[in-house]
Amino acid sequence: MSIEVQNIFYEINNNQILKNVSLTIDTGKICSILGPNGSGKSTLVKVISGDIKPQNGFIFFNDRNLNDISIEDRAKIRSVMSQSQQIFFDFSVREIIEMGWIEENGMYSISDINESLQKVAKECEVFSLLDRRFNNLSGGEQRRVHFARTLIQLYNKIELNNKRYLILDEPTANLDLLHELKLIKKLKAKANEGFGVLIVLHDLNIAYNFSDQIALINNGEILHKGLPDDVISDEILTSIYRMPIKVDKQNKRINYY
Amino acid sequence: MKNLIFRYLNFRQILIINLLFLIVAVSFVFAISIGSYDISLKNYFEGNFSELDNVILKNIRIPRVLLAGFVGASLSVSGACLQGLFRNPLADPGLIGVSSGAALGAAISIVIGSEIFSSDIFAPYIVPFFAILGSVFVILILFIITNGFKNSGITYMLLAGIAINSLAGVGIGILTFISDDSELRGLTFWTMGSFGGVKWTLILPTIILILITIFWTFRFARKLDLIQLGETEAYRLGVNINKLKFNIIISSATIVGLGVSLAGMIGFVGLVIPHIVRLLGGVNHNYLLPASALLGAFLMIIADMISRVIIQPAELPVGLITSAIGAPFFLWLIFKIRKS
Repeated sequence: MSIEVQNIFYEINNNQILKNVSLTIDTGKICSILGPNGSGKSTLVKVISGDIKPQNGFIFFNDRNLNDISIEDRAKIRSVMSQSQQIFFDFSVREIIEMGWIEENGMYSISDINESLQKVAKECEVFSLLDRRFNNLSGGEQRRVHFARTLIQLYNKIELNNKRYLILDEPTANLDLLHELKLIKKLKAKANEGFGVLIVLHDLNIAYNFSDQIALINNGEILHKGLPDDVISDEILTSIYRMPIKVDKQNKRINYY
Repeated sequence: MKNLIFRYLNFRQILIINLLFLIVAVSFVFAISIGSYDISLKNYFEGNFSELDNVILKNIRIPRVLLAGFVGASLSVSGACLQGLFRNPLADPGLIGVSSGAALGAAISIVIGSEIFSSDIFAPYIVPFFAILGSVFVILILFIITNGFKNSGITYMLLAGIAINSLAGVGIGILTFISDDSELRGLTFWTMGSFGGVKWTLILPTIILILITIFWTFRFARKLDLIQLGETEAYRLGVNINKLKFNIIISSATIVGLGVSLAGMIGFVGLVIPHIVRLLGGVNHNYLLPASALLGAFLMIIADMISRVIIQPAELPVGLITSAIGAPFFLWLIFKIRKS
């Protein structure tokens, strides 16, 4: 099972944002998208999530065309985490996480929800925050709560795990080193459970060490994709990021200053 | 269904809703017995109830208090829905111009219609009919300029509402200018809001429609919660945003149009009640919508009761009372938002 992105073109006001982008996101693997600012990473995430429609090209989720999948059904096969907006009313952390729970005609009882909520909250280390006001949390704590909400969306129905996807646009922004690493390890565990993970990252070292697939994007085009060791090299990174970058393949380290 | 509504309520919220039920019931009983003519309910149960008591109770008091309760509930629910939909704590049924559209329709029928339909059997239905027509007209305009409620960012709808409000203001102004003394009196009283002099034949269909629409909006409670994360996030969680906007705006406009058509312009209720409800027990809409309906009903019944007794035997328009309380609250709210 996979997400197949085929020959996507997307433009705004005659400005080509994505040019002939093709990509495969397999279940059970982490696929990272890397690239400089303005290269089209976030737009690609939006297209794959179904927020915006490309002018050309197709997206298939498990061989089903995204356009044929209803808005409700999309929420059951993929969850998306991105830079979120300010929330005006004073919700509790518990309520924010609960929003990720997808209702299916009352199929689940209140105790189902509570049980999953507590497990996810413990996994994401937000258990102690559950009764706090969301708006009183720090930026990093808010990210972790949103991450928990993204996870609980795909929490039920374990038999579907190898047909579902997590899509994350820079999930580690605002996180300290410890929580950044924990989040990435959590994603790795999710991939091992069978989920397909698509993630936009800035940190080259994290992408190098934790990805199964890497796609390098620049000016709306995917220039290189494949296994980390095939894609990550001095020449490629130096040309894309326009600064000297050295790769230490033995220690899996990328040095850029 | 019950499971779906109650699943996201905590114990405190269930308690608040039940308490509100109780005080609405108590205030109802209280309000039907007090006024420029006091009716003792004790006499009613003891059997020595005069014919006059009976007529006043059944034909004047009960319909009036019922209407007050339902209009209070509908204004509050639509306020809560619109604040949720636009993610804006300052939203109010007046914001989208529906109230003033209804007011203009009613004003037209009061000033121009009184000569044409004066002796007709449909006479009592003319003003509400035109008021509903006015609110429907405003919804149509909004629908067209927002391309089917699609391009409705907060600012866009707000500006459209301001334009519609001032256009309606111009219309009412012209009508006020050309009206004669008795028409002017009817017009003034109506723009300030009142529950007096409304008959069962009008009230019964209105409250049935209001009741149905309010329960209809409860279905959208969870979607209104999700939209607080932002429209994109809600969409990703499976909410059809355009459909939700359509449903919320249509049902808000319906209940407000109906309420305004019978009771006139009553300001600030839709703005203030949801905020009090949030302060009492939380911000999730599964709680907010029913609790707003109940608190709105309660406060409107009380406000109407005050309007009847404060300058006996005359009556103060209830809209003056709600605005006198609501406007300072609005200022406080702006002050609070600026500080945070």
